[in-house]
Amino acid sequence: MNDHSSPRWVHWLNTLQLTVAGILILAPTVWMVLSSFKPSFEVTAYPPTLFFQPTFENYVTLWQTTPFLSYAVNSFVVTIGSTLLGLAFGIPAAFAVSWSRITWPAVLTLAARMAPGTLFLLPWYIMFREVGLIGSYTALILSHAVITMPIVIWVLLPFFDNIPRSVFEAAQMDGCSVTRILWRIALPLVGSGVAVASILAFVFSWNFFLFSLILSNSDTKTLIAAAFNFVGEGSTQWGSLMAAATLIALPPLALAILVQRWLVAGLTLGAVKG
Amino acid sequence: MTPGSTNSQGRQLAALSAPAVLFTVAMIAFPVVYTIWLGFHAFSSTGEASFAGGANYAALVADGEFWNGLYVTFALYALSMVLQLVAGIYLAMLLFHSKRLSGLLRSLLISPFMMPPVVAGMMWLVILDPSLGAANYILVSLGLPASEWLASPTWVIPTIALIDTWQWAPYVALIVLGGLQSLPPSVYEAAQIDGASPFRIFRRITLPLLLPTIVTAAVLRSVDLLRFFDIIYITTQGGPGNASNTLNIYGFRVGFEFFNIGYASALMITLSAIVLAAVLVLNRLRNAVAW
Repeated sequence: MNDHSSPRWVHWLNTLQLTVAGILILAPTVWMVLSSFKPSFEVTAYPPTLFFQPTFENYVTLWQTTPFLSYAVNSFVVTIGSTLLGLAFGIPAAFAVSWSRITWPAVLTLAARMAPGTLFLLPWYIMFREVGLIGSYTALILSHAVITMPIVIWVLLPFFDNIPRSVFEAAQMDGCSVTRILWRIALPLVGSGVAVASILAFVFSWNFFLFSLILSNSDTKTLIAAAFNFVGEGSTQWGSLMAAATLIALPPLALAILVQRWLVAGLTLGAVKG
Repeated sequence: MTPGSTNSQGRQLAALSAPAVLFTVAMIAFPVVYTIWLGFHAFSSTGEASFAGGANYAALVADGEFWNGLYVTFALYALSMVLQLVAGIYLAMLLFHSKRLSGLLRSLLISPFMMPPVVAGMMWLVILDPSLGAANYILVSLGLPASEWLASPTWVIPTIALIDTWQWAPYVALIVLGGLQSLPPSVYEAAQIDGASPFRIFRRITLPLLLPTIVTAAVLRSVDLLRFFDIIYITTQGGPGNASNTLNIYGFRVGFEFFNIGYASALMITLSAIVLAAVLVLNRLRNAVAW
């Protein structure tokens, strides 16, 4: 309803409100990034300063006083591992659900995404301790795959649904097995869906806090779990705290912006066609 | 196609979803059953389990901290939900009446909710610091009283609700915008010809037609809000005192800080039942307003 009939001032009023909303959305993030580049004596200055001599001091401090790099490596191992596992389980499942219209496997995995994580964290802790996997990448990747797999399935479902049935039927006439149709015919047709699913799975696995808080140890701690320690130690070290926050937010934000156009439909798990 | 090949097709399809189903059963179904079992047991200091019947659940009813957690969970849920639905619908209307959604604007809108909630918590912790934070500086500059924000037992719930609203109102807005764009333009034209005011059109036509979309957004947010964890754990860990101690935070602490496994399990089962009930009720509501 881009009504051209409405007077000019209505248009300006609308733009003004949108600008204010945009500033409210952006300002906290800008403040975080600005603070990370402030000299340490100026981060906690009151009144807060908006103009200052930017410095990498906080990033250097973070690098020197914490094993930031190894936390980052842990985060990438767990996130990429769980994304790949989610794709390996999720792609065939989404294809089978789309083809057979038997939806309960998809609904079952969704239930896992809806339940509070603390519900299975306690048994996981006991089970992983039993087999000596507490603090292992294996435990972290398995637990994070519980987040990634339903994302992959539900993002890919509409993509598979959009492939005309006649394509599959023709392939079947030629004697292709269902599995072969998936890998040779269907998967190449849903490439963009796989890209969106992978990125969303990556973002949510990267951002996930609760499981690594309990299942990691000092060697396998992810950035998000380490952030909790930074807050505890950093009550006066706002500069390096904000440097850490900026670096941790960077990978998911960069990836999300890359696929922003297709993101919203994926995020609603197919509930709304965006 | 012969019936035999249909059969083998069914088997092949089942084989394709088997890994996902087995993984879910191993990682979710079995642990949930295990948690239910744990909830009916008491554990000695050496970790030996003994059947306790409903003792953990009886303790729950008598536990003031549980009732506080229930109150905090629902207060935070209701306040956050109302704030982000109102802000989200308002934002969606603004976006709908402006030009096409540009990539830059969309990137701006998704940036809050694609950022880790833990980072959002860290960032707001600094902004809302009672003595040195930018938020109080702005309030005082405008001649308004400063707030203790997360450090105040009275204001901690509204403050956390505000942080969550900052993060998720743009998400609600994008969902509602999708709903607005799918409405048939003819309904507006008819109303405009009848001379209805814009506000009346919004209340009588747009809002009722949008209800299914709004309820969908509410369902998606409910699941996250009832098990609210990250931002609270990073900012207040349930405090000050127990003022932001939601059921999820309380259950987590009972389990992993006090290692009271049986009682923590009873708490988590209760919270999960609440989440399940909320989703069922809201799904009913969604069917009721569907058109």
